[in-house]
Amino acid sequence: MSRIGNALASSVGKKIVMGLTGFLLVGFLVEHLHGNLKLIEDPSGRAFNEYVAFLQGFGPLLLVAELGLALLFLAHVYLAFRLTLENLQARRSGYVVRARRGGSTTGSLTMFYSGALILAYLVKHLLDFRFDARFFADPAALVKQTLAQPGHALAYVGAALVIGVHLSHGFRSAFQSLGVNHPGWNPLLAKLGMVVAFLLATGFAAIPLYFMLSASEGNPS
Amino acid sequence: MSAALSPPTARLDAKCPGGPIEERWDKHRFDLKLVNPANKRKFHALVVGTGLAGASAAASLAELGYRVTVFCIQDSPRRAHSIAAQGGINAAKNYPNDGDSIYRLFYDTVKGGDFRARESNVYRLAQVSNHIIDQCVALGVPFAREYGGVLANRSFGGAQVSRTFYARGQTGQQLLLGAYSALMRHVGSGRVQLCARREMLDVVVVDGVARGVVCRNLVSGAYERYAGDAVLLCTGGYGNVFYLSTNAKACNVTAAWRAHKRGAFFANPCFTQIHPTCIPVSGAYQSKLTLMSESLRNDGRVWVPKQKDDARPPSAIPDEERDYFLERRYPSFGNLVPRDVASRAAKERCDAGYGVGRTKLAVYLDFRDALRRDGSAAIREKYGNLLQMYAKITAEDPYQVPMRIYPAVHYTMGGLWVDYNLESTLPGLFVLGEANFSDHGANRLGASALMQGLADGFFIVPYTLGGHFAGRKLAPVSADQKEFVASEQAARARTERILAVGGARTVDSFHRELGRTMWDLCGMARNAAGLAKAKTHVRALRAEFWENVRVPADGARLNQNLEHAGRVADFLEFAELMIDDATQRTESCGGHFREESQTDDGEARRDDEHFSFAAAWEHRGDGQPAALHKEPLTFEYVKPSQRSYQ
Amino acid sequence: MSAAAGHDAADSMRITLKVWRQEGPDRRGRMETYRLADVSPDMSFLEMLDVLNERLIAEGDDPVAFDHDCREGICGACSLVIDGQAHGPEALTTVCQLHMRRYSDGDTIHVEPWRANAFPVVKDLVVDRSAFDRIMAAGGFVATHAGAAQDANAILVPKPEADRAMDAAACIGCGACVAACPNASAMLFVAAKVAHLAQLPQGAPERERRALSMVHAMDAEGFGNCTNHFECMAACPKGISVENIARMNREFLRAALFERPTATAAEGG
Repeated sequence: MSRIGNALASSVGKKIVMGLTGFLLVGFLVEHLHGNLKLIEDPSGRAFNEYVAFLQGFGPLLLVAELGLALLFLAHVYLAFRLTLENLQARRSGYVVRARRGGSTTGSLTMFYSGALILAYLVKHLLDFRFDARFFADPAALVKQTLAQPGHALAYVGAALVIGVHLSHGFRSAFQSLGVNHPGWNPLLAKLGMVVAFLLATGFAAIPLYFMLSASEGNPS
Repeated sequence: MSAALSPPTARLDAKCPGGPIEERWDKHRFDLKLVNPANKRKFHALVVGTGLAGASAAASLAELGYRVTVFCIQDSPRRAHSIAAQGGINAAKNYPNDGDSIYRLFYDTVKGGDFRARESNVYRLAQVSNHIIDQCVALGVPFAREYGGVLANRSFGGAQVSRTFYARGQTGQQLLLGAYSALMRHVGSGRVQLCARREMLDVVVVDGVARGVVCRNLVSGAYERYAGDAVLLCTGGYGNVFYLSTNAKACNVTAAWRAHKRGAFFANPCFTQIHPTCIPVSGAYQSKLTLMSESLRNDGRVWVPKQKDDARPPSAIPDEERDYFLERRYPSFGNLVPRDVASRAAKERCDAGYGVGRTKLAVYLDFRDALRRDGSAAIREKYGNLLQMYAKITAEDPYQVPMRIYPAVHYTMGGLWVDYNLESTLPGLFVLGEANFSDHGANRLGASALMQGLADGFFIVPYTLGGHFAGRKLAPVSADQKEFVASEQAARARTERILAVGGARTVDSFHRELGRTMWDLCGMARNAAGLAKAKTHVRALRAEFWENVRVPADGARLNQNLEHAGRVADFLEFAELMIDDATQRTESCGGHFREESQTDDGEARRDDEHFSFAAAWEHRGDGQPAALHKEPLTFEYVKPSQRSYQ
Repeated sequence: MSAAAGHDAADSMRITLKVWRQEGPDRRGRMETYRLADVSPDMSFLEMLDVLNERLIAEGDDPVAFDHDCREGICGACSLVIDGQAHGPEALTTVCQLHMRRYSDGDTIHVEPWRANAFPVVKDLVVDRSAFDRIMAAGGFVATHAGAAQDANAILVPKPEADRAMDAAACIGCGACVAACPNASAMLFVAAKVAHLAQLPQGAPERERRALSMVHAMDAEGFGNCTNHFECMAACPKGISVENIARMNREFLRAALFERPTATAAEGG
C-alpha cells in the first residue's frame, strides 16, 4: 500500500489523480445535466420527479454512490488546495515583471479560483436542494420556485459559466495528465475540450435562465 | 623507438612499445601492471574538467572501482565546451562499405596532422574509435539512423570515406550528455564526488608525484585542498589566448599552465587551428566568434572585389570584377581546399586591402550561383539551419546577399606533453583530450576532436592509470601536509595580489589587447620580426597588468571578474611560451605558417630535416626562459610527403 | 538596413536597463536602473551586459553577475528572464543568441534571474541549478560500462524513433522551463530525459526504475507541480514538446503499477 501511497503522493501521481477525478466529475456532470434537462423537456415537472424517484429507488445504493461522488469531490478539492499551496511555495520570491508566452490560458491560470467558486456554488446548491426538507416532496416544484427568483437564477447561470471556464482547461489537461498527447489527436482533443466545456456551460445555464425567464413572463410583477 | 632518444631529450621517454603498430596497444596493455580488484577502492583519482575526456574518464574509473573526485568550473558538468561541437565523430567502422579501415583512419590522421604526431598514439586512436561508437550507442546517444535502423554516416571535412557519425548538428552535445549521464550515475552511486563551480589553481606535488589539487570554490571564494593518488587534467585548449575564438568564454589555460609550472612540459603550443568559415567580427564589443560549418564551401564560392575599397553592394559587382581567389590559386581543389589553406588565402586578400564589410576583415561566401543552379529550396534543404543562424546573428539574408566570413581560432593541437600512457613529465599527472598534445600533430582533421576526448577517457586512461597505481609506491597523503598548505598559500597569494593592484584598467581590456597582439603577430601567419615584436608587447602588457589591472570587490564570494583576471594573468604568461615556440619552429606545418618557409606560390613548406620533432617546453622558474626538449618523431608507416592542392 | 556594409555608428541606441541585483543567497534583492547610451543593434544581449559591466568596473561598482559560457546557444548556461520572459522575447532562442536589434532606441528592459525555490539565487542573475544534476544522478542514465558494449549496429533503432528520442535529447538543461512555469515545475526537463531514454531500446531495461526515481528526485528538490499550462514548451529554446511530459506520465503510471522493486536496485552497479 505504501507503494501506491508513494506514487500517489508524487507530483506525477497527484496530477494523474487530479485528472482522473476530474474526468469522473465531468462524467457526473453529463449525467446530472441529462437529468436536469428533464425540467425543460417536461415543464410539468413530472419527468424530473420521476427521474428523482428512480434514483431514490436505489435506496442505500444511492447513498453509496453519493458518498463516492463526495469522495471524488473531496479528493479533487484536496489536491487542488495542495497543488496550489505547493506551487505557491515553489516560487516564494516572484518576478517583478511577468509576461506569458502563450502557453497558458485564462482557463489554466484561473483553475484554483474557478474551482473555488464551483465549490462555493456546490455548497449553495446542496443547501438549496439536496438538504432542503421540501426537495423530496416535489423536487421540480422546489427547483422552479428557487430559480424563479432572479438572484438565485443568475447565481446558477454564473456557476455554469465558471464550470465552462474550468473545463476549458480541465478537460484537455486531464488527458495530458493521464498521458494522452499525440500530434495526430491533439487538435481534436483540444476542440473536444472546448465543445464539452461549452455544452456543459450552456446546458447548465439554460435551466435557470429558462425558469427565470418563464417566471418573469408568467408573472410580470 | 624509445631507444632512439638522444641525450638532451632523455627526459622525454614516450614509452611507446615497439613491434608491429597494430599489436602495440595490446602488448602495452598486457605489460601494464594491474590493480587487484579488492584494492581499487583504495586509490583515489582527481579529475579536473568534465568535457568528453573528463566525464568519460571519471565514469570509467568509477566503474572500475576507483574513488573519483571530479571538478568543473561551470555550474554543471554538462556545460563543458565539448557540447558545442557540431559536425560529428569519426570511427573506422566501415559501415558504408566504402573502403575505410583502422589503417586508413590512422593514415589520414597522421597525414592530416602534417606529420607532427606520434604514429603509435594515432594508430591506437584509430583502433579504439570503433569502441567509442559502440559505447556511446549503449549509453543512449541518439545518433542519426537510416530507415532500417542502422547508424547513418556522412563524409566530413574532405574525407574520401564516410566515417563520420552524427546527431543532427549537435553531435558534441549528445556525446557529452552521454558521458555526463555515465558520470552522474556514479555521482548517484557515491563513487564519484562532484565539485562544480571549482577552479583548479595548482597541482600539489609530493615526493615528485602529483598527489592533489588546490581549487578555489567560485561561489564562496574559499580555497580547498584535495588529496589523491593521481591527477587527471581534462581542461581543454587555450584558444582564448586570442580573446576572440569559437571557444566558450570560460575556456582557459590556467589548469594546464599551473601544472606546467609544477613540472609538466608544454608541447607544441604554437599549433593552433584556424577555421576559415566563421562569422566576422562586427564591432569592438564582440565577445566571441561563431563557427559556420565548413560544408558551406561545397556550394558557396569565396570572393573579394578586384578593386580595393569597392563600395558597391556585392550584387552590383559583375563577375569580371570579382576575384574568386581560392579558385584562382587552387584550380583543382577550388573552394574545397583544407581549412588552413583557405584561412590563409582569405587573410592574404584582407591584408592586401581587398576585404569587405565595414571592418574590411571579411570575404564573401556567395551562394548566388548555387541558388541559380539548384533553386533556393534545394539550398535551404542542405544548409537551412546554418543560413538561418547566420541571418539571426548578422540580420542579413544569405539568400539575397553573399555571406561574409572570416577565419577564427577554433582548436589548439598543442598541449601538455604526454607519453603513450597519457602521463605528463610530472609523474602522476595525466592529461587527456584537447589539453594534451598527443594525436593531432600540427593540424586536426574534422570530427576527430570528439573521438580523441572519448578515446582518452573511456579506453586509454582506465588502463594506464592502473599502471601508475600498481607500478609506483604511493605513500598515503593528507591534504593537511605541508606541500598542500604551501600550494594553497601560493594560489591564495596570487589571487590576493591581483585584488591588491587596484589599477585603472579592466581585465577584459587586457585580454582583448593580448588577443589582438596574438592574432596579428602569432595567428594565421607568423614571421620572426612579428614574433619578436609580439614577445616585447606581451611582456609589456603583462607588466602593465600587474601594475594597473582593476578587479572590483572581494575574493570571498562569487566574483566572475576575479576569475577572469586569474585566467588572463596565466594567458599573459602562456602567450610568451607560444611565441617562443612559434619562433623556434621556422618551418611551416599544418596550422603553423611561417612566412619565411613558403614556396614561390606562397604555400606552406615543411622542413622535416630540422623539425620532425615535438617541442616540449620545460618551465625553469618565473622570469627564466623555458627550456626546449625535443621528442623526435619517426615515421615507420606513413612516409612524410608535401601537400599540394593546386 | 544596409546590406553588406553593416550598421553605421548612427544606429546606436539608448537603452534603460532595470537589473535584479542581489549580493548573495540570503540578501535582499532589488531592481537597479542603468542607462546605456551607445548600444549597437549588432550586439548580442550578453555583449550589452559586458559593456555595462566594463563601465561598472571603471566606475568602481560591482559588475552584474550572470551565467554564460558558449554564447552560441548550446551549453545552457545563460539564464535571464527579460521583461518577464525566460530567455527574452524571441522563440527558440537562448539569451546569448538574442541581439539588440530586436529593441528600439529608448526602450526599457527588465532583467531578472530564473526564479524558483529549487534554483536559489547565488548572486545577481546567477542561480544554483544543481538540482538538475541531482535529478540526473537519480536515474537519467543507462547503466552500462565502458567495455561492455556490443557492436553499435547490433541495436537497431528505426529512424522515426531515433528522431523522436533526439527531439527529447536536444534539451540543454538551461532551466527556462522552470523559470517560465507559473508553478516553477521542472516537469519538462525531467520528461525530456525520461522520454529520450524510454524511446530507445538501450533505455528499456531501466525505464520503470528511471521514471520512478527521477520523479521522486525532482519532488525532493522542491519544484512545483505541473498543471499543464504549457508555458515551459513556449519558453524552451530547443522546442521540447509537452508530449514528452505525457509520455513521462505514462511511464510513471506503468512503473508505479508494475515495477518490481529489488533489493539491489539502488546499488547502481
